Amino acid sequence: MSDSTVHYRWKRPHFIETPYIRYGLLALAAIYLIFALSTLRVNPQRIVEGIPRAINMFRGAVPPDFESRGGLIVRGFIESIQMTLIATAAGVALSVPIAFMAARNIAILPIYAVGRMIVVVARSLHPVVLGVLFVSAVGFGAFAGILTLIMYTLGFVGKLLAEAIEEIKYGQVEGVRATGAGFFATLAYAVFPQVLPRLIGLSIYQLDINLRASAIVGLVGAGGIGATLNTAFGRYDYATASAILLVMIGIILVAEGISGRLRGLTK
Amino acid sequence: MLQITDLVKSYNNGEPVLKGLNLATDERRLTAIIGSSGAGKSTLLRCINRLVTADSGRIELDGINILELHGKRLQDTRRQIGMIFQAYNLVDRLTVMENVLSGRLGYVGTLRGVLRRFPQSDIDRAYALLKRVGLSQYVNTRCDSLSGGERQRVGVARALMQNPRILLADEPTASLDPKTSERIMELISRITDELDLPVLINLHNVPQARDYADRIVGLRYGVIVFDGGPQDLTDDWLEKIYAGHEDDLKKQMKVASEDGANE
Amino acid sequence: MSTHSTTSSNKAVGDHFRWARYSTKERVARSLGYLVVGVLLYWSLSTVDVFWPWVWDAPAQIGDMMFRMFPVSFVQLNPILFALVESINIAVLGTIVAVFLALPIAYLGAQTVTPSKLTLWLARFIIVATRSVDTLIWALVFVAIIGPGPVAGILAIAFRSIGFLSKLLAEAIEEIDWGPVEAMQAAGASRAHVITYAIVPQVVPSFWAITILRWDINIRESTVLGLVGAGGIGLIFQGAIDMFRWNTVSLVLIVIVLVVFAGELVTGVVRRKLM
Repeated sequence: MSDSTVHYRWKRPHFIETPYIRYGLLALAAIYLIFALSTLRVNPQRIVEGIPRAINMFRGAVPPDFESRGGLIVRGFIESIQMTLIATAAGVALSVPIAFMAARNIAILPIYAVGRMIVVVARSLHPVVLGVLFVSAVGFGAFAGILTLIMYTLGFVGKLLAEAIEEIKYGQVEGVRATGAGFFATLAYAVFPQVLPRLIGLSIYQLDINLRASAIVGLVGAGGIGATLNTAFGRYDYATASAILLVMIGIILVAEGISGRLRGLTK
Repeated sequence: MLQITDLVKSYNNGEPVLKGLNLATDERRLTAIIGSSGAGKSTLLRCINRLVTADSGRIELDGINILELHGKRLQDTRRQIGMIFQAYNLVDRLTVMENVLSGRLGYVGTLRGVLRRFPQSDIDRAYALLKRVGLSQYVNTRCDSLSGGERQRVGVARALMQNPRILLADEPTASLDPKTSERIMELISRITDELDLPVLINLHNVPQARDYADRIVGLRYGVIVFDGGPQDLTDDWLEKIYAGHEDDLKKQMKVASEDGANE
Repeated sequence: MSTHSTTSSNKAVGDHFRWARYSTKERVARSLGYLVVGVLLYWSLSTVDVFWPWVWDAPAQIGDMMFRMFPVSFVQLNPILFALVESINIAVLGTIVAVFLALPIAYLGAQTVTPSKLTLWLARFIIVATRSVDTLIWALVFVAIIGPGPVAGILAIAFRSIGFLSKLLAEAIEEIDWGPVEAMQAAGASRAHVITYAIVPQVVPSFWAITILRWDINIRESTVLGLVGAGGIGLIFQGAIDMFRWNTVSLVLIVIVLVVFAGELVTGVVRRKLM
């Protein structure tokens, strides 16, 4: 049965068949990597010094200190939570009209363009960048943070909700239109119920995301626990810093657990 | 060659699926195992190459008890046992050739396997096997573009690449339409005849068992209740094997009548 | 839980039917939900540390700031572009480092393939820790350890990405079809071979999707690392804000938006090619 006198050659087929393209891409990647690595201003001395510094940090961070700045920590977290709640509520509420504006199947072209632009800009700018801008405009504190998170929510929920709106079954819209309903009534009866479950899921998810973001916008002065963390690092108070980080990890995990359960319920 | 003694296996501390089973195969023949679903056919086969670990008993291949092996020694014994699966169990995203060659993984070193640098003898043998099962034109085709029958043929080729001492087949034709099912049974029967290879094959199709098997083993609730040739398998015996599962028997006989209608 | 229940809410009362959109049980649940949300919002709004008079002033302030940002000044274009390239490099290198580290952690963190409970727990711990600390905070930590510069940024991006990548990759590994794994084991293949032939090919599509997604996110994250000194365009941004050079600020913003947008286009194309 086996043709032992006939030999075959077999090599595993490559992902990219054409050799030119394959080697060309590899060469490009190699060139880029070499270039990128060369631009790193690596100071070997600083890195070597960094090791005892890191050890010092860890020694300072363990055990974590919850007491000496305990009041500040609690206030910082409470502020973060408040910012999250307000911003998520307002942000989601604002996202609804903007999502409709950014949905190709609902909005006419100029409105679609404006809606899309708002969503794109809100998504491209990191919450910290937005935080810096709002702090410059309205001053330090939670208000800037709330505005930041509202914009962040607009970008996230707005985009995902717009996609959900674009994916609706048009038959249902037709059905309601056929009864002679007006534009907004059609939206309320045919479009909104289809996207409502998605919206609720997104809102709960966004609570989580905003909670994380609220922790870091404080780094630039927009309120919340981030400011407390920044001061701790600035004072080399690593024990407090590690305490804050531990509580932050804990709260985020708890929030994820709760939001997971909630989303399961509303399915 | 294969000696099973007092095999017991239960899942999750429930009722034992296999209750002190004894089986021996010495001859190079095709042995069909029949029985209703839940009788323990699949568990039995998977115990032989230890995909499932039995609770107690002995499973000896040429004197070596597979239940006592670990690590490399277990791998060495497994590579002598070829297996064909009902769901084919191919790696869909890999090509036919890679799937067939993967049958040699028990024999090649780590680096060679990962880099797909198999020895020339393996490659030649793979081509020969693919020719034998009629898939030469699909050497570098991804398996997810093949039909069910074609995939099972790759499965056959892969198992035979191991150069096994014994072949196990767990309902290899259950997912196939009647015509393809006959073709695959014929392929398995003929190749194992040519290679003088003993086969243990679970069949859900009684007439196929009668047509192709040299020996039929009937399993009922984890015990062997029939062991003989196809000519000994009377309808009486069938009733006994499938007692309490009459609709199962009807289904397994009905599959046959569809085959007959399609011939 | 559907929003409509027709069975228990249609009752015949005399000759008329009562129809309500939700059953009583659902109505109670919804009211409870609204109540909780309302209480939380009321508490937040009443106790948050916000100077309300300034809130009404906000639109004017924001408008004023935006007014100062235009016309855009291109004076700083060169340093901005250089810094932008540095940000992109940080994102790319950070993602690459993260991928190499995330693969073994994902393997150990997948319940179906991890060798022992200890490794599972260890991997899960690493995943949770790196996920819950945001990139910018990692940047703070690394700047404190090895000093300011892009290397701190790369490490920050890498550490955060490990948690993200490992979690999703571990889930992908847990969801594969187990049949081919059985088949490789039955053929006597070693663990390394089983992984290479049965697990890796099934996970590859998810791997690329997850990695590209994280790369996209990292591009965005890398733009702000400079604010804590970890390299990239954030530094110029901070500088322009501090000096009130609003027309430069607007240029930085525009550049960031364009880069992120371009990144999304690229990932969209690549994702479609690979699927």
